[in-house]
Amino acid sequence: MVTVAGIYAYAPAIAALPLASFLVALFAGRWLPKEGALAGILATGGSLVLSAVTLVELVLTGEGYDERLYTFVAPAETFDLGFGVLIDPLSAAMLVIVSLIAFLVHVFSLGYMNDEGEPGLPRYYAGLGLFSFSMLAFVFASNLLMAFVFFELVGLCSWLLIGHWYREAAPPSAAKKAFLVTRFGDYFFLVGLVGVLATFGTARFAGEGGFPAGPTPVSALIHAATMVAAGVFLLARMYGFYALLPTVLAIIAFTGGFTALFAASMAVVKDEIKQVLAYSTISQYGYMMLALGAGGYVAAFFHLTTHAVFKALLFLGAGSVIIAMHHEEDMWLMGGLKEEMRVTYLTFVAGSLALAGIFPFAGFWSKDEVLFETLVHGLGANPLLLGGYLLGLSAVFVTGFYTLRMVMLTFHGDPRTDAAADPHGVGWNVKFPLAVLGVLATVGGYLNPAPLAKLTGAEVDFLHRYLDGPASEELLTSAHHYGDLTHEWAGYTAGSVAGGETATMLGGAGLSLALALAGAGTAFVLYRGPDPDRHTEALGDLRTVLVSNYYQDEYQVWLAEGLTLRTAIAADTFDQGVIDGAVDAVSSVSLFSGDRLRRLQTGVVTNYAALIALSVLLGLAAFAVVGGWL
Amino acid sequence: MSRHWLLLAPAGAFLAAALALFVIDAVDRDTTNPTVLSAVATAGGVVAAVASAVLLLSNAVATPAELFGGQLVVDGMSLIFTFIFGSVTALVSLASLDYTRGLPFRAEYYLLVTLAATGMSLMASANSLAVVFVALELSSLPSYALVAYLKHNRGSVEAALKYFLVGALSSSILLYGISLVYAATGSLLFADVASAAGEAAATYPGVLGVGILLVLGGVAFKTASVPFHFWAPAAYEGAPAPVAAFLSSASKAAGFVVAFRVFVVAFPIDAVANPSTYAVDWVLAFTVLAVLTMTVGNFAAATQEEVKRMLAYSSIGHAGYVLIGLAALTGVGGVDAESTALGASMLHLLVYGFMNTGAFLFIALGEYWELGRTFEAYNGLAEDAPVACLAMTVFMFSLAGLPVGGGFLSKYFLVVGAVGAGVWWLGAVLAVNSALSLFYYSRVVKAMWIQPPAEDREIDGYPPALYAAIVTAALVTVLLLPGLAVFDGAAFDAAAGLL
Repeated sequence: MVTVAGIYAYAPAIAALPLASFLVALFAGRWLPKEGALAGILATGGSLVLSAVTLVELVLTGEGYDERLYTFVAPAETFDLGFGVLIDPLSAAMLVIVSLIAFLVHVFSLGYMNDEGEPGLPRYYAGLGLFSFSMLAFVFASNLLMAFVFFELVGLCSWLLIGHWYREAAPPSAAKKAFLVTRFGDYFFLVGLVGVLATFGTARFAGEGGFPAGPTPVSALIHAATMVAAGVFLLARMYGFYALLPTVLAIIAFTGGFTALFAASMAVVKDEIKQVLAYSTISQYGYMMLALGAGGYVAAFFHLTTHAVFKALLFLGAGSVIIAMHHEEDMWLMGGLKEEMRVTYLTFVAGSLALAGIFPFAGFWSKDEVLFETLVHGLGANPLLLGGYLLGLSAVFVTGFYTLRMVMLTFHGDPRTDAAADPHGVGWNVKFPLAVLGVLATVGGYLNPAPLAKLTGAEVDFLHRYLDGPASEELLTSAHHYGDLTHEWAGYTAGSVAGGETATMLGGAGLSLALALAGAGTAFVLYRGPDPDRHTEALGDLRTVLVSNYYQDEYQVWLAEGLTLRTAIAADTFDQGVIDGAVDAVSSVSLFSGDRLRRLQTGVVTNYAALIALSVLLGLAAFAVVGGWL
Repeated sequence: MSRHWLLLAPAGAFLAAALALFVIDAVDRDTTNPTVLSAVATAGGVVAAVASAVLLLSNAVATPAELFGGQLVVDGMSLIFTFIFGSVTALVSLASLDYTRGLPFRAEYYLLVTLAATGMSLMASANSLAVVFVALELSSLPSYALVAYLKHNRGSVEAALKYFLVGALSSSILLYGISLVYAATGSLLFADVASAAGEAAATYPGVLGVGILLVLGGVAFKTASVPFHFWAPAAYEGAPAPVAAFLSSASKAAGFVVAFRVFVVAFPIDAVANPSTYAVDWVLAFTVLAVLTMTVGNFAAATQEEVKRMLAYSSIGHAGYVLIGLAALTGVGGVDAESTALGASMLHLLVYGFMNTGAFLFIALGEYWELGRTFEAYNGLAEDAPVACLAMTVFMFSLAGLPVGGGFLSKYFLVVGAVGAGVWWLGAVLAVNSALSLFYYSRVVKAMWIQPPAEDREIDGYPPALYAAIVTAALVTVLLLPGLAVFDGAAFDAAAGLL
């Protein structure tokens, strides 16, 4: 058991602070200056400081923390169910990321919501507070049950926040879609939870969907920090379970590679800036799944970290542009904003280059490590991983393309509308979060520059060392423990092309950088100049397919109407006939005398008496047989 | 000096109130001020509740106190239940001031209420089968008359007659059961019955077994458990709404306190359902009863069109939840889990005493305004009476088990107890039934707040006493969410003391 270090006793407060801000915003927000924003900023700022201190403590002492807070069912009984706090390198780092982004989103919201005079601010900040609370508690959850509870809360909050502007048409519908899709996933989560419980007797540790309709800071919170990341985080958290299952791992990897390319191709043709980012997010989660499936635990978490930073940056940058454009989101109505919005432009470009995977921005290092891990394990005789690698590699080109297309359309060329010619300025509360994230997106890659470490032999792969540190050793969640598991159970071994490991690495890195540059370059050439053409029109029918998201919505409608509705009708028939029949039978037995009462006043009490006497006799007979009195 | 007759103060308060009412009525029959009558009965209830709470929380009965040669016992459980009876009596008497305005025989009405409450508090303390029977009759006979209080109303009289006939049948079943138990064990005192039960089960398994099952039938009548529930919907529907509140909350709780004490103390399950001395496995019988009662009550409630009848059936469903406390005494989970389950049953009855009483008093308000019986009759009422509708919303959601009132916690404890005792599937049945109940409780809420109001409704005045009772019940229901912490220790201790 890990010893209790002083600072860890305050770990629950990391989540409790935003909960307090939720309550404050909910009940007193109306009367506060800024309607709850300040409470939220203070609370998430406090969480950020506390989680940073926790992280430092973990690095310095090398000791994790695993404490049970509340027991539902004691371990001695059938199941072991409780709430607890698990601080290991993975959750400590994730706490910092989540609280950082939650803090910046709160600050940004001052500019996006308060300054714009949006209605329902206390409700909005209460939602943000509850979201931050649930997400942070989800991160330090020590078991699957607790993770499930808070994951559900996160889903509820995203529904509340996406549907914030509930009087308009699109947000409620998007909120409903998000809610239903995540509930569908949660159903399997619950099944899995029960399965794990049944197998292990405890659930301790050792999604796809784009919802671009909420307020922009909400998109940032949901996409970057948090909810979708929660899925990947959950995979990482449960890696010890998955590492035992070779087939599942390879399938996860291949699905990841496929998702990366599939979603990226949809982002190419989108015209609304937030939609591009939403599909790009799905694509990037594909990379993380690819890494996890390929046995690259560190690579996956590395990419999760850098992506959280640069995608939050891009969403907030998009939010800043949207403020400037008086809530216009179509990129074809923008253009030429770079002169007027210097800070937004520069930080947005930094984020874009990171997303595209251009050296030396953060995304380059992490994406390269993902691809490298996949390649070497694929070369170690695993064709499914190689397939995943090729898909991921192709997605690099597409990513470079849509990223630069977005930048060119938004910021370059001549202004295409009056709003773009005369944008509405943004305040410090928008610029500050952008600047912080912009710096991080530029230098974040040096958290784990694995190629540098390999080439020079210097010990600069900090993240790897951190995740492999002594703190995770005791809790059996260390990177090399997972490496051993995948090697032993999934048969993952490293291979290389001619020229050895270093050559493979350099070749892979060069190839992906070249593809990213080629994609970006193509976009630059196509969309430069003062008045770019709509080149995606040239794709013809293919564009229609892409714009319609591969007819996924149509497919979902079919799923809802063709399949679910029919099943529901069949179930309804069954319900009406069999279940209701049974229910009606039950209630008609009890209502029988009531019905008789209306027609035949004298019959009723006799019926009661007869039924009572009959059931007594029946009970006597049954127990006489059981008890053997007869 | 804890073995003192003062320990019977709660029952004494009811009796004193009843006698005072008798004197007032005898002295000044015609001009009696109804406020005085209501105040005396309410005061009796409040004094009984306060005395119970003080005795309970002051630890005066850390060990059970036996009185009158062991015929009566005062312990934690009896005090929890006298607290329930006192609270319900106070609420009902207060609300009746407005409800019975202008009706004849008001003094008799309050007299009957307090006498029934006296009977109930004796049931809570009964320590022998003879006292059980006498106390049960003392509480039942006034109840029959109370249901018939609106004696020119056909529904009221008819309901009372049905209630009386079924009650007479059940009493005879109970009495026959008691006589068989006496024949097998040679005693009526619980302690003596318990010590003789093992031998009796070995010697006369049939006699003892039939006796125990018949006693169970008599108790099931009082708790309105399926299949002895037939009288309940009719009686609750025909009775004046405050009387229905009184019967469905207090009278039901009285049935349960007898069930808890008789079965846990007098018929130890180890003695009567031991493989070597097997008479009858009453835990199994209660399990069957619990599942049947929960399911039939809730399913029937879901199909009702009238609010009062829906509440009557939902009240049956709640009896099913409480029965889990007895069905969980399987011996699997040990004393801890069992006292959690049994204590949770008591807590549920405590919370139920407020939320269900409040709900029926809201119906009394509806009858006072002559709104009508169906769900539609309450459409848009929130515009005319927001406070009462808010209170009713609290009652409905707390009854369904949402965390707006104590009903959430007591159900939670019931599930925890059931899981701990190894009958997790009973907890699952409870959860499914609660989910169903949310459907029909929400119908009331929806009607009040969302549906457009009927056009020609006239609300004539806001009866202050009825409102005071409803608001008090709602406040206590909400406060019991955090406040159940005051009682849960006492309830679990009381249950552990019994086991």
